[in-house]
Order: sequence, then structure tokens, then C-alpha cells
Amino acid sequence: MLIFGVLRSGLYSLTSVGLALSVGVIGIVNFAHGEFLMLGAFLGYWLFVSYGVDPLAAIPIGAAAIFLLGGAVYQLSIRRVLRAPELNQMLLTFGLSIFLQNLAIILWTGDPRVATVSYKAEALAVGPFTLGVPQLVVFGLAMALTIGLYAVLGGTRVGKAMRAVAQNRLGASLLGIDVDRIYLLAFGLSTALAGIAGMMITLQLSVSPFIGLLYTLKAFAIMVIAGLGNINGVIYASLVLGLSEAFVEFYVPQGGGWAEGVFFFLILVVLLVRPRGLFR
Amino acid sequence: MTGRALVRGGLLLAVLAAVVVLPLWVNRTQPYYLQLSINVLIFATLALSWDILARTGQLSLAHAAFYGLGAYTSVLLTTRAGLPIVAGMAAGAVVAVVAAVLLGVLTLRLRGIYFAIATLAFSETLRVITNQVRFTGAATGLVAPPLLGGHRPSQYLVILTILLALTLVSWWVNRSRWHFAFTAIRANEEVAAVMGVDVVRFKVLAFAISALFAGITGAFYAHVFLFISPLEAYSLAVSVGALVAPIFGGLYTTAGPLVGAVVLRAGEEVLRSTVQRGYPIIYGFLLAAVILYMPGGLAGVWASLAARIPRPARRGARGEPAGS
Amino acid sequence: MSLLVLDTLTKSFGGLSAVDDLSLAVRAGEIFALIGPNGAGKSTTFNLISGLLAPDRGRIFFDGADITRTPPHSRAHLGVGRTFQLMQPFHAMTVRENVMVGELFGHTVLKSLPAARRDAEEICESVGLGHLLDRGVTALGLADLKRLEIARALATHPRLLLLDEVMAGLTPTEARQAVASIQGIRARGVTILLIDHVMSSVRDLAERVAVLNFGRKIAEGTFETVAHDPAVIEAYLGQDEADGSH
Repeated sequence: MLIFGVLRSGLYSLTSVGLALSVGVIGIVNFAHGEFLMLGAFLGYWLFVSYGVDPLAAIPIGAAAIFLLGGAVYQLSIRRVLRAPELNQMLLTFGLSIFLQNLAIILWTGDPRVATVSYKAEALAVGPFTLGVPQLVVFGLAMALTIGLYAVLGGTRVGKAMRAVAQNRLGASLLGIDVDRIYLLAFGLSTALAGIAGMMITLQLSVSPFIGLLYTLKAFAIMVIAGLGNINGVIYASLVLGLSEAFVEFYVPQGGGWAEGVFFFLILVVLLVRPRGLFR
Repeated sequence: MTGRALVRGGLLLAVLAAVVVLPLWVNRTQPYYLQLSINVLIFATLALSWDILARTGQLSLAHAAFYGLGAYTSVLLTTRAGLPIVAGMAAGAVVAVVAAVLLGVLTLRLRGIYFAIATLAFSETLRVITNQVRFTGAATGLVAPPLLGGHRPSQYLVILTILLALTLVSWWVNRSRWHFAFTAIRANEEVAAVMGVDVVRFKVLAFAISALFAGITGAFYAHVFLFISPLEAYSLAVSVGALVAPIFGGLYTTAGPLVGAVVLRAGEEVLRSTVQRGYPIIYGFLLAAVILYMPGGLAGVWASLAARIPRPARRGARGEPAGS
Repeated sequence: MSLLVLDTLTKSFGGLSAVDDLSLAVRAGEIFALIGPNGAGKSTTFNLISGLLAPDRGRIFFDGADITRTPPHSRAHLGVGRTFQLMQPFHAMTVRENVMVGELFGHTVLKSLPAARRDAEEICESVGLGHLLDRGVTALGLADLKRLEIARALATHPRLLLLDEVMAGLTPTEARQAVASIQGIRARGVTILLIDHVMSSVRDLAERVAVLNFGRKIAEGTFETVAHDPAVIEAYLGQDEADGSH
């Protein structure tokens, strides 16, 4: 059970770290975050079905495509509400989310689709457990990417600029950092990370226009647990969510359905008891 | 009474007469339109009741929670306890109010985005619970007994009465001392408190009024469409619609949410017949467009149009984006 | 007779004490000034008195009654009124409507809307906002915003008025007007506790002064005695250092 929880948390961290980037650097709580994940998943599915490209191999293409899309969305809409009241920003991204989800429904209908890669059913015996190969691969990649992002933020010029902007918009611009470009980059990166997570989902689960919102909400739960905008707390918070879900699935009768509600319950409890998050 | 007030009163009466008579008259040949009118009024009631809560600065994503609670309470009491439908609907409203007061007290300290996320979590938690518990019919849902023997014209008059009552409440709120309390709280809770406004009382009251109407509307919906399921009753689309209509029509006004609801539902109908699926795309598009290009919504557009027409006697009061 | 008594009041934020063991008594009818370097805990003290913050320790008495646990709106009803240093007008309301909030909710007399409107207009006239009644607050300049702060506080019919830096940023002429206006308010029987950095105004207005530094009271007395207190001089000289360090 522990291992299932941990494996699941990899994908969660990858999704949430993107959202945390948007919240932490730009200050935008993006309700449409999961829709980029959904689009990534469809892209992965389409590349696999039409061209036989393995979703994992397609990640660079997909990431680039979603990055560009995210950048365009930023230029067209987000950029105009940076100074608007927080609630307007929230409503705008909420509108974006509804728009993208229904656009996907119009284009691809609401039916779930499954991409069957050759190694989908393969499993590995690790000690007394058998673990799905796709799950292991996804976990490894997701963790590598999340940690890679931390490294980028900590070690490169762009990453340092992002952290500077996150701490103090005005101060950073005085240092000669082009804040607007950093925002664009951060938003593109944020959506690209969601897109990659989406392509990984193609490997294990079915793809439908409705998955976006679910992942937005789970990413919210993780962010709330970590503390809004706290990028470093995301991994721990993902573990909390992944483990709690696995726990409920295993120990509660008909746990599958209840697990669906775990993250909402966590959001409620954390917000009511400790609104600033557990990990700060 | 001035001439303008007379004209206004006359117009109001005419509109009232039209909404009472027209759908009933059309029903004789085209029953579909009566059904549609009922839908529009349900939507308008949700939108306006949501707006009353929003006037205290609480932008909730939990309106579906009260709608669903009203629906489930009424259906469970009428089918399992044999209560008459009217009593069931009243109980639905009461349960919604109790839940709203609880949620209101719990979320008192949360502002802005935290409040929105917490309310969404509340609503979705209710959905998951309803979806799991066998007593509430779980994922399959419940069959509901019909209101007034399923007689559509009578049902139409019931929801119209509910909406009219809400409209009166909303109109009164915006013209009474409550308006000052609500607006002050929305602007700055701490300053409002220091100036003597009992912030907790007004915020919770707004929650209660809002939930009362959402709850009774949910119960009405159940007994008109005769079937409820967790996915529909606690649908995010309900919460979204209840919020988009006022934003589109004009927040914090009585007319804005009503006009917004009618226009949106009409637009949705047109889309529904052209694209068949995914028509809620219009909500997403309008929400984004209004935020980007039309702050103040239709009421804001109306006010700026009115301001362009020279009118010497116009009182210079500035403030809320539009009249109520 | 003391109208306001603070008894060993303490408030800290994350281990840093903003107000430390503060005791103070403000007599009915006097003008009392609270001064001290930035970050000395003056605004925190105001938040404690008006009820926006709860103290960690200590008690607050107003007119002999313990109000330590009384919610802010009830304190307003008892007669505690205040202004805010960073002006916080209600947007989406006109000047008149801003002041009406105080008339409608700030005291225990239930007023009709027309009565509240009339009384609010009167208060606006008295502070020099009579010509701006229908203005939206976004159109107001600094001096008018400060006047609006005072007008809103007066509309709650306070017995004790807390003025948080109402002189800051005013021109000398405007500051003189404000001094006269505050003396007029006191003449009508309102006790005044004020925070200010404009020392000439404090000297002209205050009968007694208390000096805070790092949340502690380091001196109390008339302006003259306090101004010559070595501890006070030291606190103010040290201010540059303290400013540089945060």
C-alpha cells in the first residue's frame, strides 16, 4: 500500500509543481492548469494512435507544444489581469478551464480513450510486490523532472531570476530582470509540466476531456497542504495525498469511491485548521 | 410620484404580466417552451441567490452544495418518510440553510481564493459522500415524486413565485441598511467591524438567505425532473452557472443576475442546437471575455451607455457599477 | 476618571513582541499622544484597543468595563472609534455613503436611512467634505481621504477617538487645519488618543504623551518632560540604525 501511494505521488508532484510555479512566481492561481494536462494527454494519445509514437518518446514534442500554447494563453489573457484583483484572475482562469474542457468535448467527444502500449500490462516483481512497469517508469520520470526543476530554479540564471521575481517583483525589475519575460517563461513552463504529466497519464489511464478539472483540484489540494506558492513543499504534500488515497483505497470498504473525496477532505481540513499550509 | 417612476412602474407591471401569461399561453401549442422557461427561472433563481452572498465579498463555488442538499433532502423525506412534497421542499430549504450557516461560520476567516477553494471542496465532498452512501441512492440516483401531479403550468407558477420572492428580497437588501453593511464588508471587513458592523452576523445571514433559495430551488428541480443523481445535483456546472450569470449580467445588482441568466440560457439553447455537445463552452468564453473586456458586465455597459446620453437632471451618484 | 485603561498588555507575532507589558491610562476629556520610532508597536496598540487583534496577555478596560474579549463592532457601539493610518475607504461607495455606514451601525441608536443620510452630511460639512458628498472615493486626494477617515470615525459617535497618523503627509496649512479640527472634536467632549510623527502637532495638541520603543513604554508625561528624557532621545537617535536593519 505504501508503495502504491508513493508511486502515485510522483505524477502528483509533477502536476502540482507546475501549478506552484505559476502561483509562486506569477501569483496566478490557475484553475485551467489541469486542462493543459488534459491537452497533453490527448496529444500523447493522438501521436500514439496516429503515428505509433510511444507517449514517453513524444514527451519532448508534447512539452514544446504545450509550452507554446501556454505562452500564447499567457500573452492573450493572463498578462492583462496581472494587476487586477485576485478574484478576477481566478475567474479568468476558471473561464479558461471551462472553455478548454468544452473545446475538447466538441473536438473529441466526452468518451474516454485508452492507448495500449506494448508494456502496459507488464509487471516487475520487487520483493514480495508486483509493480506495473508503466507506473514505475512514470514515477521515475516524474520525480526526475520535479527534482530537475528544483535544480533549474536553484542553479541556473533563469531559475535564479524566477526566484528573485517570486520574492519581489519590483526589486527584480530594478536588478535588470525582464519581469514580463520571466512571467511568460514561468507560465509556459508551468503548463508544459502539466502537459508532460498528461502524456504520462496516457500510459496508465484513460484520456477524456474531464480529467483536467480533477487534476487541477488535486494539484490545489497539494498546494494548499504545502502552502500556496510554496514550491519546495510540493513533494511532501504529494506524498501526503498519494499515501492518504492509497490508505483509503485499501482499508475502507468500497474505498475506490471514497478515495475520490480524500483530497477535498484534505483541502477542507487544512484550510480550516491551518490555512497557511503544513509545510512552512 | 414622478413621471419617470410611473413609467418604471408600468414597465415593471408589463414585464410581470408577460412572464406570467406568455409561457402559459405558448404552452398550448409548444410545450417545449414552457419547459425551457422553467429551466431559465431555475437558473435565474440560482444566479440571483448566489449574487446576494457575493455582495458580502464571498465568491462561492459551493452553490451546487445547497441546490443538491435541497434536492436530496426533499426527495428522501418524500419517498422514504412519506412527507408531502411541500413539506419536503421546505425541509430541503431548511437543511440547506443549516449547512450554509455551518459552512459560513467555518470559512469566516478565509478570504478570496482560499474561500473559493474551500467552498468548492465542501461541495465536492458532499457529492462524493452522496455518491457512496446507499441510503441516498449512491451513483444511480433517486426517483422523485412529481410536484402538483406533474402539471407543468402550475409548476411554472411555483418557480416564478419563488423567483419573485427572491427578487423582492434582493431589491430590499440593496435599498436598506443591509446594503451599507454588505458593501462595507465586501470592501474591507476590518474597517466595517471597527465602524460597528457586525461582520459575522451579516456574512452568515447572507449565506443563509442565499442557501435558502438555492435549497428550495434544488428541491423544486428534483420534483419537476423526477430524478436526481449526485453528478447532476452537485454538479460543478450548477455552481459555475450561478456565478457566470451575475458576472456577465452585472454583479451586486438585482437586474444583472436575472438578465445575465436569461441571456446565457438563451445563448446556450442556440449552441445546444448547433454543436450538440460542449455547449457550456459559452460560459467559459463569456467569463474570460467579461473579465478581460467588460468589467461590470451588461449592467456596466448599460451604465456607460446611459452616461453618454446627456441628461441634466441626472444625479451624480457614483459608486456601484449600476443601479439596482 | 480614566476612560481607557490598558493593563499589562502584551502581543507578539511569531516570537517577536510588538507590544510588551504595556500599561496606560487615558483620562476622560484629554488628548493623549502615543509616539515612538517606526515599529515601536503603536499601530498594534490601536488594533488591540479597537479589537482587531486579541492580546496574548493583559486586559483592556473602557469606562470601567473589561472589553478585552469584546468583538470590534461591540467596542464601536460602546464608543471606541478609530481611523486607519493607511486610508481604507470603502470603494464602490460615495463619500456620503462611506460616512453613513458609521451613522447606521456605529452606535446603538437605530437610525432610518434618511436620518443617517442627513447626519452623515452634517459630519461631512463639519470636517470640510461638504462639497464632495457624491464623489466616489477613488477621486479623492490625500488630505480629503484623511478627512474622510475622521468623518467616518465621528459618524460612530465615539467617546474615545483613536487617530492613527492623521497628519502624516499633510502640508503645513492642512496640518494646522487638522489640529484645529481635532481640538474642536475634543471640545465636544470626545477623548482623543493619537499616534503621530509630526512633533509640532503633537506638541500643540497633546496634554500628555507616552513614548513606546520596541513595544515597551519608556516614558510618559507632558511633551516637554518626555522630549528631554534621555531614554527617549536615545530611542529616537537609534532609529536610523533600526531602520537600516530591516
